[in-house]
Amino acid sequence: MTGSADQRSELKPMSGLQRRQTREFIEGLASESRPYWDMVEIGDELARELHITPELVILYADGVEDFNCWYEGWRMNSWRVEGESPFGGAIVPPLLVSHFVLSVQFDATRPFSIGSIHTFHDSRILAPIPVGATVRIATRAVDKFEKRGRRYVRHECDVTDVNDGTQYFQEIRDILSL
Amino acid sequence: MDASLAITPDTPVGFRLESLKKKAAIQLMGSRLWGRFNPNHWDPEYARSTGLEAPIQTGEMSSAYIAEMCVNHFGADFFRGSRVVCKYVASTYAGEVITTHGEVREKQPKGAGFRFIVDVWAENETNDKKTVGWVEVDVGVERKAQS
Repeated sequence: MTGSADQRSELKPMSGLQRRQTREFIEGLASESRPYWDMVEIGDELARELHITPELVILYADGVEDFNCWYEGWRMNSWRVEGESPFGGAIVPPLLVSHFVLSVQFDATRPFSIGSIHTFHDSRILAPIPVGATVRIATRAVDKFEKRGRRYVRHECDVTDVNDGTQYFQEIRDILSL
Repeated sequence: MDASLAITPDTPVGFRLESLKKKAAIQLMGSRLWGRFNPNHWDPEYARSTGLEAPIQTGEMSSAYIAEMCVNHFGADFFRGSRVVCKYVASTYAGEVITTHGEVREKQPKGAGFRFIVDVWAENETNDKKTVGWVEVDVGVERKAQS
């Protein structure tokens, strides 16, 4: 992989208008960005509720080209359907909620931190999540540490059903903060 | 699920899971749900300005690839009491083709079956490892024994 201008433009061909729109969008993100390390204190707790709609599941699964029919609570032409899996109706892909943890730990009320890299996760999948469930994703910053000159923030997270309290998922994850 | 892929209590240590291949397509890396919030995941110019040779995939995409491979083999068991540990040891760049791998390392007796420990990893076309880790899954274990 090289970084020549030709190869970069082949990766993402754009017209002049698209380039201008892209630069505006990025400048907007960058102007509000702050280092994640500075935004988090050990002990910080955050939680948000997420309604896992069939359409959200499809967006997630299509992004990684995972076309397992167990995740289909929405199909073109039929739209919302109950779906089928070994647990009855459609279920959520095993690591979907892990992806949404980041939009809890990156506190939605603060500027986003675009210089951060997810480096590690230790996830426990406790029970299948039915498509259509509303879950509570709760995170707690448990450590900030430096390793080989790099700064990391560690979080613990729990995902539970808002309606019946079922515990679906637990995770420990590290974020490298530039 | 393809029943011929199913891991059973009789599956031996050393068994290799069937790989998946995925292209790190920049259009998917930059989709709203995945990486749009960070231009390092989809904009070549911005990525270069931060010292990257090309946009990098969110690590969670390679974890999702590994999870898909595991669901192919463990089916419903993967959704009950399993564990997935992944470390992102190198960046996955836009345009690379990623292959997932898995190999049964250990079977720990548990209930009527085993807790399988499987080493998993994802690598590019030149066998550079991008993600390494392991998964643990109960197979043939009575449900009540898991509590």
